[in-house]
Amino acid sequence: MGDILEFFEQMGFMNMTLQQGIMLLLSFFLLFLAIKKQYEPLLLLPIAFGMLLTNLPGAGMYHSELWTAFLDANSPAYHSYGTIMREGGLLDILYIGVKAGVYPCLIFMGVGAMTDFGPLIANPKSLLLGAAAQLGIFLTFLAANAMGFTEAQAGSIGIIGGADGPTSIFLTSKLAPELLGPIAIAAYSYMALVPVIQPPIMRALTTKKERAIKMSQLRPVSKTEKIIFPIAITTIVALILPDAAPLIGCLMLGNLAKECGVVERLSKTMQNELMNIVVIFLGLTVGATATASSFLDWSTIKILVMGIVAFGCGTAGGILLAKLMNVFSKEKINPLIGSAGVSAVPMAARVSQQVGQEENPSNFLLMHAMGPNVAGVIGSAVAAGILLTMLG
Amino acid sequence: MTPLVINWSHVWMVTGLGFCMVILLLVVLIFILKLLGIVVSSAVKAPKAAAPKAAVSAPATVAAPQASSGADDDLAAIAMALHLYFNGVHDVEPTEIHIKRVERSGWTSKLYGMNNLHR
Repeated sequence: MGDILEFFEQMGFMNMTLQQGIMLLLSFFLLFLAIKKQYEPLLLLPIAFGMLLTNLPGAGMYHSELWTAFLDANSPAYHSYGTIMREGGLLDILYIGVKAGVYPCLIFMGVGAMTDFGPLIANPKSLLLGAAAQLGIFLTFLAANAMGFTEAQAGSIGIIGGADGPTSIFLTSKLAPELLGPIAIAAYSYMALVPVIQPPIMRALTTKKERAIKMSQLRPVSKTEKIIFPIAITTIVALILPDAAPLIGCLMLGNLAKECGVVERLSKTMQNELMNIVVIFLGLTVGATATASSFLDWSTIKILVMGIVAFGCGTAGGILLAKLMNVFSKEKINPLIGSAGVSAVPMAARVSQQVGQEENPSNFLLMHAMGPNVAGVIGSAVAAGILLTMLG
Repeated sequence: MTPLVINWSHVWMVTGLGFCMVILLLVVLIFILKLLGIVVSSAVKAPKAAAPKAAVSAPATVAAPQASSGADDDLAAIAMALHLYFNGVHDVEPTEIHIKRVERSGWTSKLYGMNNLHR
């Protein structure tokens, strides 16, 4: 009889708190969004499932207290991966990859191997639009400080405006690991909602005439240029801003593997197997950080609100700079491509194309928007490096 | 809980300086990309410029191959063929040619009938 009672006492149902119940319901909702609505399912599904696993009472797959001790300088487990390996659960061990900043960089490698920087090389001015779209990061940093977050936390919240999941995770794991769960979920949720968030801002800031502007065809880019590009960018950015080297270096390594044409097997592995494995680990572990105690908090609501502000400001920054460039430039550019500077590759570029075609069905902005779009990836990685240098 | 003291001067400095640095670094990259384009295009043009000197009788108004629409169509066809070949998009078809030994099925019955006509 005693054994039966003990068995019942050990059941998760008997030990579940109200907060854990709410988190489980939230994970079900995110799973619904991933599967039924297909909102960034490749990442949202493992994140939601990680959230489900971490909030199962008694399962012991993730221990937030171990990671608190890991960051506490007075604890014997301070910066001790050995303690994590010895006492942690499955998700704790997988989380080491996030903590050490390995997964975001490996994902960037895959992103680089899948990205064609040709439109950016053909039209280098796109980099300006990618830079202007980082305005959201810094304005949100300011706002987050005003709302009572520390500077490191504010920097991590601001980077949501870069619309770049791996960069957000990379910076947050370094600056404010306690906010990793809410920030990752906000970043990926808003990236999935780019087609909803951006068009009203794009229409509000542009006139019909501006949206109908047709752009001239981009010049062809030679293979030599495409090969030199990743080498040159890595060297220059890493020499100017060493903290951005891990992200930019991995992005450009992946791109070089794709463009050089002599390591096709490596390129394919980066694009497929490696990328998929890391996405699973990253999603699961980031979801696992969303424990009831860390997630059900007012700060999460604030982060979600500021995340959308960051996205909006970034979108506006890109569009306004494109309009400004039109004042000084002879060759007009369609301001809609400015909104693609917020990264979110290639969703933001597709949104530019769709909104442009609403005004002029014969207008094809996609390739023009891909320039600022990939420039946004570089821009957000650079912004992360700057924030890490200044706040880290 | 003690309220957080915000060092606003540092916050403004990070905001202003950080954004300016992003812009500045990417402007540097713009110049480098433009330079790269000039260097690579001049390297490509150099052998082309040498060619007319050798062939004096070559007409001066010969259009570049990429300028003609016919060449574009050729390139598109080649690109599509390479895409189909390397990405395995094309249907996998048996390379065996069936002339006489044809199995009767819904797909081959017509062919079977035609073969019978020859007998």
